[in-house]
Amino acid sequence: MVKPIIQVKDVSFTYPGSEEKVLNHANLSIDEGEFIAIIGGNGSGKSTLCKTFNGLIPQFYVGDFEGEVQLGDRETSKYSVAELSKDIGYVYQDFENQIMRPTVIDDASFAPLNFGLKDYQERGLWALEVTGISTIANEFIWQLSGGQKHLLAIAAVLSMKPKVLIVDEPVAQLDPQHAEEVYKVLKKLNEELGMTIIVIEHHAEFIADYCHSVVLMDQGRILWKEPVKTALSKVDELVLHGIYPPQITQAANRMQTTRHHCNGLPITLAEGIEYFCHFPQVIPFPYTEDRQKVPTKEQPIISFEKTALQFQDLRRQRKQVLHNIHTSFYEGERIAIVGNNGAGKSSLIKLIAGIVKPTSGEVKVLNHTATKASPEKLGKYVSYVYQNPEEMFIEDSIKKEIELFLKARKVPDFEETVKTILYDFALSELQDKDARLLSGGQKRRVSLAIAAAMQPHIILLDEPTANLDIATKKHVVHMLETLKEHVKTIIIATHDMQLVAEWATRIIVMHKGEIIADGNRYDIFGDELLLQKAGLIIPQIIELSLKLGLPKPLYTIEEFCSYFHSVEGEGLAYEYV
Amino acid sequence: MNMYKSLSDKFSLEYVKGELLKTAYGSGDTFLGRLDPRTLIFWYLFFAIVPWFIHNEIILVSFLLFMLMMTYLARVSRLILFILCIGLLSEITVLFIISLFFGGDLASIGPLFWLTIKLAVISLASVAIFTSLDPEKFSDALLRLGVPAQVSFSVSYGYRILPTLIEEFHKVILSYRLRGKPPEKTGLLYWRMGVYYMKILVLSFYPLILNGAKRSRTTVEALETKGFSHSTNNQDVKKLKTAYFSFHRNDYFFIAFSIFYIGLSFTLSIYY
Repeated sequence: MVKPIIQVKDVSFTYPGSEEKVLNHANLSIDEGEFIAIIGGNGSGKSTLCKTFNGLIPQFYVGDFEGEVQLGDRETSKYSVAELSKDIGYVYQDFENQIMRPTVIDDASFAPLNFGLKDYQERGLWALEVTGISTIANEFIWQLSGGQKHLLAIAAVLSMKPKVLIVDEPVAQLDPQHAEEVYKVLKKLNEELGMTIIVIEHHAEFIADYCHSVVLMDQGRILWKEPVKTALSKVDELVLHGIYPPQITQAANRMQTTRHHCNGLPITLAEGIEYFCHFPQVIPFPYTEDRQKVPTKEQPIISFEKTALQFQDLRRQRKQVLHNIHTSFYEGERIAIVGNNGAGKSSLIKLIAGIVKPTSGEVKVLNHTATKASPEKLGKYVSYVYQNPEEMFIEDSIKKEIELFLKARKVPDFEETVKTILYDFALSELQDKDARLLSGGQKRRVSLAIAAAMQPHIILLDEPTANLDIATKKHVVHMLETLKEHVKTIIIATHDMQLVAEWATRIIVMHKGEIIADGNRYDIFGDELLLQKAGLIIPQIIELSLKLGLPKPLYTIEEFCSYFHSVEGEGLAYEYV
Repeated sequence: MNMYKSLSDKFSLEYVKGELLKTAYGSGDTFLGRLDPRTLIFWYLFFAIVPWFIHNEIILVSFLLFMLMMTYLARVSRLILFILCIGLLSEITVLFIISLFFGGDLASIGPLFWLTIKLAVISLASVAIFTSLDPEKFSDALLRLGVPAQVSFSVSYGYRILPTLIEEFHKVILSYRLRGKPPEKTGLLYWRMGVYYMKILVLSFYPLILNGAKRSRTTVEALETKGFSHSTNNQDVKKLKTAYFSFHRNDYFFIAFSIFYIGLSFTLSIYY
């Protein structure tokens, strides 16, 4: 009999000064050795729930707490957080702030050292070994990439060898390859060490591949806990709560006219192939790829001429970030720049904004040489949206944020423009709030509104969909459509391949500071070698259509579904047992 | 505009960050860097306090020579030395101008010169020590010497967070610049540009502080989950943290040489 390791009994919690219950009579039991995902829309109480597991709530948050939480056989309110933390590790969403020490090995062994364990160094080294970052043990933390920092944050918690590990959004800021790596580490911990793993996750594909069970939360209540297959098959219910199941599951759900799928829908690629290979296909093939027109003698809006960029790192070593970039962008293009962390995507768009200057070569933006112009001057034509919206917030209300640029340039009738923008981005009601206090999705909206208010010719977006739940993400994609009306060219640097597949007309693949491919989605997603080299993982639906041997890859669920005749629910029952 | 460009290229925040971190952490491979942190702290305490009470010119000059030697041994960053020189020069100039208002004349240069030497000795000692003593060792030494763990941890954490803060500061400044507009005329000696940049620098501190305050929430919680409160009251943990401390032959040699040198300076001052 498996013992429950965490038991939440009728827990309610209200933050001080708020009427709303963040947790509302929550009940949950998690068994030892489970790998569990907690899902729910932004603000449904997922992080709050997890903070009750190690006693941070109620001990570190004043507020109204009712009910009881047990970790093993200890009631959390009767032990200090430090004491409980020997058994339960917590990796925050903003994990960078939980790294305390200047070097990797120091940070990894910090917790066992604090608890006075003599073997603290061995534990630190062991944790680095498990997470696969032992080669960087002596590096300083500010030299690490985002992915390495995340693995370090996990290692620093692991060194206590806890029974339970909670990871809040393990892959939000990682490229697909590194994300896979993190999940493999978690899987290893779960299978080899029997550690109970709890993740808060928006990416259903990862849940399908790695988790055993799923907890759905809504407005502080726990709606249900189900095995992963049953959970993800409840497509309509999940979508209602702003969560999108794997594309394969969505497609399968759409194909079924009668909605009783007692055995569940396919949730992984392998299951999807099995499921769809029995479907009758529509002939002739309904889609032909719209090849993008080759830009002719048209004047480019942005052009790079043999541009290279070097940085000097802290050890005074020169690091080549971009090599020999030679390309042009034209009006009306929707450009996506893809590639792994560290491939040079952000540097490329920073060159366009004039934030960094090339070491050699030239960048021209609308006939201005970006190399010579100040960021203020380019700001008239180009607006750059940071990956982290908070870094754009420099005023104390949303309205002022949006006004800032227009006021500085003394644009006549700027009040009208601000009003329109506030309305377009659904911010009218929030306009007097401080942008820093909003939710993740709202912050992103404000950052886009700030950029739109600058009425630029070119808009540059760095990871516009990172850290968002899928419903908010859809909203951002919708806003990109709105932006299109105001802007000549949009350039996005992103890891989000679904966004790329559905939105971009031109895809630029970067690898180690070079452009290794430049084409439309057909060129890029059809080239397996290229994808492998650049470390890209294509959206599930495209992969499925390729694996099924369809004549052409299909890019959206709608396209995919129109390729098959839907079948009656009954005919399917025997096929999917 | 060009003067601004070349200046801002040399003094980019990146460069400042690099120099600061090198000063703070890049000390392991110098002679001074390998000494026991406690030796360095005691040595520094002497040279930070005693020169204030010395008026003998020979002793001051010999101290200055000693400090120059130390600065050389510690391989102090050029940026830091440059700032130090500027500081000392402006200090003597300002004091001299003030002395003119109070009826001073050229003769007041003399005493001011010796005051500056005194300050130079103390500043060079500080710079040499902090270049040689990385914040981790400094913080551990404080812990071992009985300073509360909260204080010693703040020293080490303060340095760890420094690069993050500088980076964020940089981004906030950029936000202002990307959405702002510089004055159209630069003005005499670029004074308008100067005012524009100064204003941005000051304004940028507010978002920085607000973001920092938000961030510290996670840090405080994470400290507790990592058992920091457990370590603060526990003598065994303190011992474990500083177990690597030990006096070597070089420490004794360094202390002996310093005492000998100080003694020699005092002796010289008596005879000459």
